[in-house]
Amino acid sequence: MPADESPISLGAESLPMLHDLGEVLELGILTLDRELTVRGWNRWLAAASGAEPSEVVGRPLLELFEGLRGGPAEEALRRAVSGSTTVWSHRFHRYFLPLPAPPGHEGFAAMQQIARVTPLMRGGAVDGVLVLIQDVTERVAREEELHEALRRAEVASQAKSDFLASMSHELRTPLSAIVGYMDLLEGEMVGSVAPLQKTYLGRVKSAAHHLISIIEEILTFSRVEAGKEPLHTEVVEVTALARDVEELFEPQALRKGLTLSVAVPDGPVAVRTDPTKLRQILINLLGNAMKFTDAGRVCLEMEATDRVVFRIRDTGPGINAADLGRIFDPFTQLDQSLKRTKGGTGLGLPVSRRLAHLLGGDLRVESTAGQGTTFTLWVPRTSGQSSPAGDARRTDAEPAGQP
Amino acid sequence: MTTDRIDHDALTELFNIGLHRAAASLSELTGQRIVVDLPRLWICPIEETHQRLLELLNGDLATVHQIFKGSVTGDAVLVLEYQSAARLADLMTDGGVAAGGRLDQSAREVLTEVGNVILSSCLSAFGDMLHVTVTFSVPRIHVESLEGLLRSLQVDNEDLHFALLAATRFRLTEGEVGGYLLIAVGMTSLALITDALAAREES
Repeated sequence: MPADESPISLGAESLPMLHDLGEVLELGILTLDRELTVRGWNRWLAAASGAEPSEVVGRPLLELFEGLRGGPAEEALRRAVSGSTTVWSHRFHRYFLPLPAPPGHEGFAAMQQIARVTPLMRGGAVDGVLVLIQDVTERVAREEELHEALRRAEVASQAKSDFLASMSHELRTPLSAIVGYMDLLEGEMVGSVAPLQKTYLGRVKSAAHHLISIIEEILTFSRVEAGKEPLHTEVVEVTALARDVEELFEPQALRKGLTLSVAVPDGPVAVRTDPTKLRQILINLLGNAMKFTDAGRVCLEMEATDRVVFRIRDTGPGINAADLGRIFDPFTQLDQSLKRTKGGTGLGLPVSRRLAHLLGGDLRVESTAGQGTTFTLWVPRTSGQSSPAGDARRTDAEPAGQP
Repeated sequence: MTTDRIDHDALTELFNIGLHRAAASLSELTGQRIVVDLPRLWICPIEETHQRLLELLNGDLATVHQIFKGSVTGDAVLVLEYQSAARLADLMTDGGVAAGGRLDQSAREVLTEVGNVILSSCLSAFGDMLHVTVTFSVPRIHVESLEGLLRSLQVDNEDLHFALLAATRFRLTEGEVGGYLLIAVGMTSLALITDALAAREES
């Protein structure tokens, strides 16, 4: 704090310097005598108002700005004449002088201002009034954007918390019963089971176990976001993993009359990665493709070079260009009517992308409405040797690169 | 000069007059009914203020300072804990500023204006009682520690300084926030206030 914060004491000879200073500091500086006649009107005010000092100086302010008469601005000026200082924040008043908003701020008809109205002293007595005006239009616009972003983030965070609390319970309870009854049937504790039935029971049980693991993955979503999800890497033969995933979806493809195909390289492809996470990504992507495709085909293609690339193509409804940008946003389902008819949590794709980042790779989407969708996942041949936690924290603004 | 001579009730009444004016101005400013209560008032040598405030306040503070000059001279400060300040700005603007509990620039501007209204109203009440004109500096907002606040107080060059410390409670439509008004004055100013209060009671 400066050593002295007395009301401003200035001789008349100092006023031109004060007005120049205001221009340098991008401040409007208006000085008035005790009768509120304009004494000084700096260049900044001239530029903002379009009125030159020669048109303004010597005229009563309340004639120049009729709208101030009888309002809080006149009150503040009169208070300054009696020795008080008034602070003028844009939140309560918007502006002190009605000046047009600077170009590029279409949301504001008038310039957003903060102001200080303070007595000018001479010889211990109030000699006039000093008004300092600052244009905060741009800052206000920026703050409003930030507030909106924060509000959206809070809504999303709340949605996530609510989702985690309710869905984990809702999903776990029936699945535990399903797995329990599967064990009873498979163990022939309630009667004999034919070999084919046993095979099918095994698949049902496998799918049920996978569902449980998905729930666990959902619960770890926030850990992945925070970069706290550990990697458990091992050497994995990924063509076999792709075939396993295909098997999971064969019954669904049969039921829906879809062609499900998997194209993998002829020989084995060894990758050091986290198989649970890679499997979960592929299941999420194939599950989505199967869910949203009502006719045609779903393909899983795999390429192995210095990295392994998986492409999951479908002949489903496709995605509008406008929606592609938010398809990886958590808790988002592009078409709310699909949520009712197709189910799903809206977490599958965001979780998949974050897991891909965790594995050191990335997940992208290409789609045209009415022409199907292709998701491209790539993972390095060796995951976890660079900084997977860093990748997990990577934002969408820092793409991992194209396959 | 000791603080024993001061008519505590008369001083409380004077503060109440100032806070009532402030509440009326703030209500008009914000478009909601605002009441400012004064639950407690202390008068003590400034050296004792540190310990007292230490018991009352936690963490960083948001303060609005306004120096006043005239027959009485000193430093008036609205003191709020940081979170209380953010809450007050939020309540005053109906959620328009201080998103996420942060004192952004707009929130600081709002608090500076609120502080200006409260401090000016209270000091004007003193000025009216003393029949003198008091002039005010441009108020400034700071986020500072308690030690920083006490270091930054500006009082005239007398040896003995006193603090009039008033606990205040802002009651708004959607909630309440507590804070403190601290008026630091020198011995001469305090003597003038004491005499004026005594004369006021006698008349």
